Amino acid sequence: MNSAMLEIQGLVRQFGDVRAVDNVSFSVARGEVLGFIGPNGAGKTTTMRILATLDLPQSGDARIGGFSVVDRPAEVRRITGFMPDYAGVYERTTVHEYLDFFARSHGLKGNERRAAVENIIDFMGIGELRNRQVHSLSKGLQQRVALGRAIVHNPQLLILDEPAANLDPRARIEFRTLIRELAADGKTVLLSSHILTELSEICDTVAIIEKGRILAKGTVADILTGVRRQRLLSLRVASRNNEAERFLLEQPGILKVFEANGSLHFEFDGDDDAQVVLISRLVNAGFPLLEFSARTAGLEDVFMKVTEGKVQ
Amino acid sequence: MIAAPSFLERLDNLSDRLSPIVVKEVRQMVRGREFNYSFGLSLITGLTVAFFGAAGTWTGYRSGAWTVGWQIGCLTVLGLIVIPLATMGALRSEKSERTFDLITLTTLSPRRIVIGKLTAQGVKLVTLFAGAAPFIATGFLLGGIDFVTIIVSLTGLFLLSLWACAACLFLSCLSTSRAVSGVIYAAVGLVFLFLIGPGGGILRLWMFGGPGFYAYGPPGMGLTGLSLTGSPGGGWWMFAIIASFCLMTIVNLVLLSENRLTLPTENRVTALRIGFFLQFLLIVAWVVLAVYLIPGPTPASSGIDGLGVVAGLQLAAVAVFTVTEDLLLSRRMVLQSKSSRLRWLMPVLGPGGAAGAIYVLVQMALLLGIGQAIAPSEMRWLTAICGYICFFTGVPVLAARVLAPRLQAKQVRVAALLFFPVVMLLADLVGYLASPGGFNFEYSRRHVLNPFRTLANWPVASQFHWDEFALAIGAIGFIVYLALIRMGWRANQEERNVPAVD
Repeated sequence: MNSAMLEIQGLVRQFGDVRAVDNVSFSVARGEVLGFIGPNGAGKTTTMRILATLDLPQSGDARIGGFSVVDRPAEVRRITGFMPDYAGVYERTTVHEYLDFFARSHGLKGNERRAAVENIIDFMGIGELRNRQVHSLSKGLQQRVALGRAIVHNPQLLILDEPAANLDPRARIEFRTLIRELAADGKTVLLSSHILTELSEICDTVAIIEKGRILAKGTVADILTGVRRQRLLSLRVASRNNEAERFLLEQPGILKVFEANGSLHFEFDGDDDAQVVLISRLVNAGFPLLEFSARTAGLEDVFMKVTEGKVQ
Repeated sequence: MIAAPSFLERLDNLSDRLSPIVVKEVRQMVRGREFNYSFGLSLITGLTVAFFGAAGTWTGYRSGAWTVGWQIGCLTVLGLIVIPLATMGALRSEKSERTFDLITLTTLSPRRIVIGKLTAQGVKLVTLFAGAAPFIATGFLLGGIDFVTIIVSLTGLFLLSLWACAACLFLSCLSTSRAVSGVIYAAVGLVFLFLIGPGGGILRLWMFGGPGFYAYGPPGMGLTGLSLTGSPGGGWWMFAIIASFCLMTIVNLVLLSENRLTLPTENRVTALRIGFFLQFLLIVAWVVLAVYLIPGPTPASSGIDGLGVVAGLQLAAVAVFTVTEDLLLSRRMVLQSKSSRLRWLMPVLGPGGAAGAIYVLVQMALLLGIGQAIAPSEMRWLTAICGYICFFTGVPVLAARVLAPRLQAKQVRVAALLFFPVVMLLADLVGYLASPGGFNFEYSRRHVLNPFRTLANWPVASQFHWDEFALAIGAIGFIVYLALIRMGWRANQEERNVPAVD
């Protein structure tokens, strides 16, 4: 049995002469949380809209739970929840009525509908807001209600486009917790965000897209292994900082040096023995070494390494 | 033990039978200022009119007709102006607030959304009418007006109000921009001004019928009732014709709105084609009934003349939108057509310019068949109508498809619409350049390219055998249609081989 919840094959979407999505292919396993990252205009939203059946590719296809987004949009909509990068709320509608409307629109009836709405209100922790007008809520609370709307019909796949955008730090943390809980509940989640530190905490895997093409896909560690052999090292000297920077640049295996917060950060292409040699050279050259440390590469490093920062 | 559902739960369960859109809209409506003000105002007006009506009876005047006239006048303002204008924002706001995408991701289809929106307007109207009912009943009790007149007037007004709402709903699909909406509002306002001013007579005639109707109430308010005098049942026939066209056009306005809201990559035309075909059949049916069944002398040739004009105009409008569709279909369109219950009818009712051409030709064949059966002497005239439609819609489309294959359907449509006046003007321009001194606007051979003038002067055209030119133009149009059908068929050969979705 195929365990992939989402399979994308050769997806192409062109607007005039611009290829917003250029032969995109990847898959997401059931229960996996995949972060979809890329610069502005990279093709993330277009891909997500195609997956949500709001747009149609010129060629290629995507299967969600085995159903093609091109051929079987109705079935795809039944098992997919989509939250775009806007809340999409109504005037003169309370939170309860808003969720009730979408539950009805998904075909839920009677007790099943009432239970679904109550469950969502409990899960999202918005019980106190149930009779508040949804358009009068803060952005963070509207996002919360919008997430509730996206999952009211209990979808298997959740597509979230920039769900944490415009949220304050507290709302962001709460949102992250909700996504984690949904993932723990067995939902497959595909989400895009500009806040990479957050994504690395939520996501099992990431897919990096730029100019409509997937540049890398896998766990952060896997991608790092694939794209970077260099170590990320940092040192701090008590004085002669500029001299130390020049000295580093003259050493073999040093690729990039930059200063931040009084420390020198650099990429070093070499093994443990080469690193020992480098440290001894620094000491022998008389630099007053205070700290020397290896830095763990994060999603930002991967992103910066893989992408060129170009838009179409 | 399972607890019995409470009364409110039962009501809530009952609401599952309604469209979710209706439930949402009604919830929003009762909190909205527009409805509350309208409703409040109609109650105050109703009460005031009923009071004055009742006061009038003290002098012995049977003021029922006057009272009901003013009540219906008030409902007319609400039903034909206030509610439809509020409807104009219904779908535009869904699109501008971007909630429309969210709804389309549910199980609701664009058609259910539009029907839901229209039903919600219907609920508004029913509530307003129900609010006015006690005051109208007061008018009946005051005497001077019969029950049937009141019911028919209210039914007619309700239908027209619903029609206006459907039209405004369609207008609200046309644009998400406030500026464009503003232009549409202004245009609609101008139309209203025309109808209230110089067009008021037309409005009254259209609303409450022409011969066979008589007027009640204050001057200009247009409250009328059906007269069963004159030709026996003539008023009822008129009412039936107006009501049937009103209902048919409401259905087609809903389908047009659906068409505007559906993704262009989906099959959004089959339902619309069925709707307009039914409208065509309705036109035919009423003409046949007028000739054979409705009392009063309607000669067969007059019936066919009427049919030629009305059905010809409808066919021309339909052809401009169907033949100009893209020839190449999306994969989803092909798959939807294949899995449709009506797949055997898809060569005629399916999407694409080729099917559009077949669709128009089939209706033309029907029109000619009926012409042959009712009035064979009018066949050449009817054939010329069909030929002109083929020529003026087919030639520009074929030229666009061959010379600029990347043109979109919208652009091809504009080309087809421009082709018509250009050709008509060209005839006069060439005539003037050839002989500036002897130029006049009298119908002559050069006007054969002008369908309106030729069809209006058909006896003259026949007398001088210019009708043969007209028929030759039609033959060219027919051949062009065949070429378009062939092009469309070849363009989609590859997609057609994709297996159907069960």
